[in-house]
Amino acid sequence: MKSVRWQLIAAFAITFVFVAPILWMVLAAFKTINDIYAIPPVWVPDFTYLENFKLLLSENWQFLLNSTIVTLSATALCLAFALPCAFGLVYFQFGAKNFLADWILSTRMMPPIAAAVPLYMVFNGAGMLDTMPALVIAYAGFNLPFAVWVAMSFFRNIPKEIIEAARIEGCGWFQTFRLVALPLAKSGIATVATFVFIFAWNELLLALFLTTREAKTFPVVISSFSTVTKTYWELISAATIIQILPPVIFTILMQRHIVSGLTMGAVKN
Amino acid sequence: MGEIVLKDVEKSFGEISVLRDINLTINDGEFVVFVGPSGCGKSTLLRMITGLETVSGGQVVIDGEDITHTKPSSRGLAMVFQSYALFPHISVRDNIGFGLKIAGLPKAEIDAKVAQASGILGLDALLDRKPRELSGGQQQRVAIGRAIVREPAAFLFDEPLSNLDAALRVQMRIELIRLHERLATTMIYVTHDQVEAMTMADRIVVLEGGDIQQFDTPIALYDRPVNKFVAGFIGSPKMNFMEASPGPDGTVQIKGGPALKVPGVDLARITRRMTVGIRPEHICYAHDTGDLTGKILVEEQLGSDAFLYVEVEGIGMVTVRAVGERDFHSHQTVHLSLPPETCHVFDESDLRINEN
Ligand SMILES: Nc1ncnc2c1ncn2[C@@H]1O[C@H](COP(=O)(O)OP(=O)(O)OP(=O)(O)O)[C@@H](O)[C@H]1O
Ligand SMILES: [Mg+2]
Repeated sequence: MKSVRWQLIAAFAITFVFVAPILWMVLAAFKTINDIYAIPPVWVPDFTYLENFKLLLSENWQFLLNSTIVTLSATALCLAFALPCAFGLVYFQFGAKNFLADWILSTRMMPPIAAAVPLYMVFNGAGMLDTMPALVIAYAGFNLPFAVWVAMSFFRNIPKEIIEAARIEGCGWFQTFRLVALPLAKSGIATVATFVFIFAWNELLLALFLTTREAKTFPVVISSFSTVTKTYWELISAATIIQILPPVIFTILMQRHIVSGLTMGAVKN
Repeated sequence: MGEIVLKDVEKSFGEISVLRDINLTINDGEFVVFVGPSGCGKSTLLRMITGLETVSGGQVVIDGEDITHTKPSSRGLAMVFQSYALFPHISVRDNIGFGLKIAGLPKAEIDAKVAQASGILGLDALLDRKPRELSGGQQQRVAIGRAIVREPAAFLFDEPLSNLDAALRVQMRIELIRLHERLATTMIYVTHDQVEAMTMADRIVVLEGGDIQQFDTPIALYDRPVNKFVAGFIGSPKMNFMEASPGPDGTVQIKGGPALKVPGVDLARITRRMTVGIRPEHICYAHDTGDLTGKILVEEQLGSDAFLYVEVEGIGMVTVRAVGERDFHSHQTVHLSLPPETCHVFDESDLRINEN
């Protein structure tokens, strides 16, 4: 009994440590800059004070739109390449198959920063700096290895006989992929999509390198609120709330599929 | 039509040769069963006919057309898997109609064929369920339904009944026999189960060690096995084997037993060491006299039959099938005799050398 209570207290304490910054941010988003620095602190702000959000969105709505377009496109592009690629790596018989699969993963072994400068040069040469397609390509490319590997593991979990049955029933490879493998790997696709979405939505480093004005994404905007002379805590807080909402919503939407996919796998046919 | 011919077919996985010199002609409409011990290549042979496994050498010909390198989807065959392999994400109706839809048939025609197949298989009430909402037997029926609607050149079954319980297995076996009579389509059936092989097959292929040992009717395999392996593999309980050597006057001298004048033994093929085989039901037994004397170690009484496991000194364990016998029990002494006309003689390379 007693130990359960202590566990609960510990759990709450740890949760509080993680939630505290978010809590602080949520409160700060509804304060003026003076209230943020006020001593004694203003604990509970006036939640009808929306000036921070209004100011933020009126000046930066197009960058939010950029973020949305880039993220959705990058997720779609990444899946469009990763899924057929993973399917082929799992089901086709060809030499150097394992080598290829490992080699794909090896591209993940370098940090993104190592690729930032080369990517800058490439997109500069192609005249694509500060364009959304450049970001879409970079994000999709960065997530491809991971997406291919996760999708492969989900395709591998489909019983081999089901794929064989489809082929005997008259499906070519493409039909087998579309009509049988994709629906059965639904949960895997949801998982991959969620991760790519979150990566692309929150990515800052490459966006700083590859964009200047037109194609700026929302995280770049947030970072610009911290200047040499002044940090606009109230704007950063408001922007961050907007920033974390889509991944949370997307994850909740996808979670249903991920859970249903897991239980489907549990009852093996 | 569905005549399937395998010519000098070989299969190896990397360095390991799994099947060699496979030559088979399966007639249109025939029910052929592949049997053999685990790992002998039954599934591999079946999968090469479907195209799921590549062929390392030789040819696969269906109705005169060489399809060795044709992809599975173009072979016009249907397969029923041990695990059923239904598509879990679509309904029973869509599972059965899947191949027809892929083939691009109009919806009305698909519905009619699905309705007909589900009628034959008693699946009418289940058409809107998902496969996971069915019992094992029902899933198996759906898998069979999916196969029959397409009117394939041949049906291939890989141990389709081995996941079912004993009673259902008997029932499905009878249904499959009736289905074959009704459709008269070529069927190739892989099984471990002797009873399935004997009762269902027009002809049986016995595979072992990557070779076809014998390809013949069930009765021919039982009565005239070509070698000791087939003799021991077909029949349950197994044929009894006893060591033997050449005896006087063209007889075969059983080690520790009588010299038998087995009719039809090819004297030219007699070798120094031989084996005599006799099936359990052919051994005569009595309380008082016989060629051999032994002690009943175990009596397995089934009512219809009693299986007596008799320890005979100098020979070993001999199994006797006593039909309807009630009068012989464990620990009793029993006298056995071996009617020569029911014995088989195998030479030192295990080939049968008596003709009958
Ligand atoms: N993909 C593969 N790679 C390597 N070896 C394989 C492969 N598939 C099968 N084999 C080998 O080929 C041999 C024949 O296998 P197969 O599955 O045809 O046996 P089987 O007669 O169907 O056995 P069972 O009765 O247990 O199903 C086995 O020794 C097996 O280990
Ligand atoms: Mg097998």
